[in-house]
Amino acid sequence: MANLESKNKMSVIQLAIVTASTCIGSQLIIGINKLVTEGGHLTWLSIILGGLLYYLVTLLMIKLGNEYPDQTLVSYMPELWGSFLGNIVIWWFALLFLLQIATILTGVRKAIVFFMFTRTPPEVLALGLLTVCVYCALQDWGTLLRIQQFIFFVATPVFALLLLVSLFNFNPENLLPFLPKKDIPKLLPTMLEGWNMFSGYEIILFLFPLTYHCQVSIAKALGGAFGCMTVAFLACIVIAIGVLTVNGVTSTLYPIMTAMSSVELPGTFLERLETYLVVFWIPVVFDTLAIFLWIPAQVLMQKKQYTDHRPWVLLFAPLIYFAGNILDSLKALDTADKVVTWLGLGFSLGVIPLSLLLLLWKNRGDKTCQK
Amino acid sequence: MSKINLLLSCSLFSLCLLISGCWDRIEMEERHFVLAAGIDLADEGLKPNQGPDVTRTETFVQPHGGKRYRLSLQILNLKPDGGGDDGDSKKDGDKKSYVISNTGQSFLEMTRDLLGQDNKDLWWEHLQTIIISEAVLKETGLKPIFDWFLRDHEMRWRVRVFVTPGEARPLLEYQPPSGDPGGIFFAGIMQNHRKDMHLAGMRTDLGWASQALDNDADIFLPRLELKDKVVKVNGTAAFNKDKFVGYLDDYAIKGTKFINATEKSAVVTIDSPDYPGGICAFELFRHDTRLRPHIKDGQVYFTLDISLIGNMGEMQEPVNSDKTSDPKYIRKLEVLFAEEVKDSALYAWRTMQAMHVDPFHLNAKLEAYETEAWEKLKDKWDEIYPTVPLVVSVNVTIRGSGEHK
Repeated sequence: MANLESKNKMSVIQLAIVTASTCIGSQLIIGINKLVTEGGHLTWLSIILGGLLYYLVTLLMIKLGNEYPDQTLVSYMPELWGSFLGNIVIWWFALLFLLQIATILTGVRKAIVFFMFTRTPPEVLALGLLTVCVYCALQDWGTLLRIQQFIFFVATPVFALLLLVSLFNFNPENLLPFLPKKDIPKLLPTMLEGWNMFSGYEIILFLFPLTYHCQVSIAKALGGAFGCMTVAFLACIVIAIGVLTVNGVTSTLYPIMTAMSSVELPGTFLERLETYLVVFWIPVVFDTLAIFLWIPAQVLMQKKQYTDHRPWVLLFAPLIYFAGNILDSLKALDTADKVVTWLGLGFSLGVIPLSLLLLLWKNRGDKTCQK
Repeated sequence: MSKINLLLSCSLFSLCLLISGCWDRIEMEERHFVLAAGIDLADEGLKPNQGPDVTRTETFVQPHGGKRYRLSLQILNLKPDGGGDDGDSKKDGDKKSYVISNTGQSFLEMTRDLLGQDNKDLWWEHLQTIIISEAVLKETGLKPIFDWFLRDHEMRWRVRVFVTPGEARPLLEYQPPSGDPGGIFFAGIMQNHRKDMHLAGMRTDLGWASQALDNDADIFLPRLELKDKVVKVNGTAAFNKDKFVGYLDDYAIKGTKFINATEKSAVVTIDSPDYPGGICAFELFRHDTRLRPHIKDGQVYFTLDISLIGNMGEMQEPVNSDKTSDPKYIRKLEVLFAEEVKDSALYAWRTMQAMHVDPFHLNAKLEAYETEAWEKLKDKWDEIYPTVPLVVSVNVTIRGSGEHK
């Protein structure tokens, strides 16, 4: 039973909700085009396999966490890798989140300006969004946890419900062929590209010590979170392709928005349904950004042995803002996206398994000594 | 003042921030709503003696491109009561819409330059109709015309697009008998496609055209004609990819709707089997249609299975001759109606093959259901398409004979 008095702790189920809420974010609108361009008709399978792959990485993270139940990666990575390499891993982890905020903020502000505030300079919009995220990230974990849960149960379902309206123009034949042989070679690259959809699950490494371990298995709870994410992403992809066709999705910058804008409900006062979708997308993105800002600030706080994470949040905010402005051109944003993807894949598929192997190897050594 | 009261006052005061609205808002009456856009050739519709003057006044100095298109916009007049005291201005003000035009090549550039003819910002979110003249389509494809309409975020996907054999501007100036502005009136006509088998209203708007362009598929747009103050949507303009190839007649549209299962409430007529000169009409309520590709010995063919359920809608037969209570007669009618639907579908199929246009997306169906075979066929599909047979099977069930015999 979770101790409800303690504001800095959470249950396993809450960890699963936070993970799902963090991972489901900007990609719902700005990530589909790139993924379908890469995967074609097989994108649906790539997402399912990608979900399994990144869940496997999550299981490795849980294994690592179980070995150091009361520590975050800030304390155990130097133990495992040594001081120099351990610090690299910690900086890698923090940088990954910071770069992601910059790229997400740039992509999101472009979409919001395009669909809602055409006369507002994107920089002003980014400043507003970042200010709210900074304010949220300045809070302690208890506040953040409640915000995450609130958004997960309020904004995300409304977003999903609105999205379902586009089923009016859904044509199942657009999804065929289900398993075209010509697209099979694209499966692996799309799975790797799919990291952009699932990214954010790395927070588990940091949040593990904040979790009460009760009767519910953490692996099962996070399995549920990944199931939820996979269903959400799959729904977006299937709806986008079903409404627009694969070629239509690849020709459209924001396929989900286009799919929504193709819906008209005659006789109702509701028009421009895609605008409502943006309204509910903003909080979904906001909670992701807030936690992405909170995590590196906490990492740096522990690393530099500060008692408070807030100075780091305030330090990162202008850096992120200026990085976002630098990434404003299409080419810069594309390059930054690639860098973030490779950094993320390197961390998930390289650092995590290697850390676990290192741990097992060290443990084996210990057991040998005991014998 | 207690702390709670102070907090409450501050909270209430802060609500003012929410009701102040966006900083960049524009009130509705400060915008001019574009309801319809007409696209003609630049020199179309101008009388020889007024042409150069009008063109010079309307247009602008273009550093690039040529004077290719004449873009006309129908704008909603939000103050139909006029404003002036003299009779003429009152008469002009009574109009619910007015039309302005410009010539150029870039549609974006023309629309911005049109602000020189209007006193308010043009707002495209309520654009209902785009009308393109046939003369333009003989000069250029649809892609360069649609490009701006598809890129701009103010456009809706469900904007109705028409092709007119005449000029587009007179259609924008046309005052519909209902009193509605033309753009809304024309778009409203297309809403009736569910009940009118001659209206190609399904999958023929801007969004579907965009999807067809993305998939390299053929496009079909309804034909809108104005003759002596009579406006009618009749026929469909067919495009091979985005190139105009000709018009389809009403019967071909009817057959196409049967094949594509886009009919909702069709009317099928036959000559009365027992009474020469009489006519029987079947009204469709429900249908189940399946068009499927097959490959046998390397040959492609399609099967079309249609099952229609409906009522007898009309029987022009002599007095006291109604036989709808006779099951044998009903069966006879069902068979005849099925034959008629089959003829209609085959007529549409052959017409499309003759015109080398495909409104049935047969290539997409082959790719979807016979993927491996499609990989071998796709390079020679253009040659194969005109020879692909259709095997039609129609089953009609008459469930009722109407309220009165």
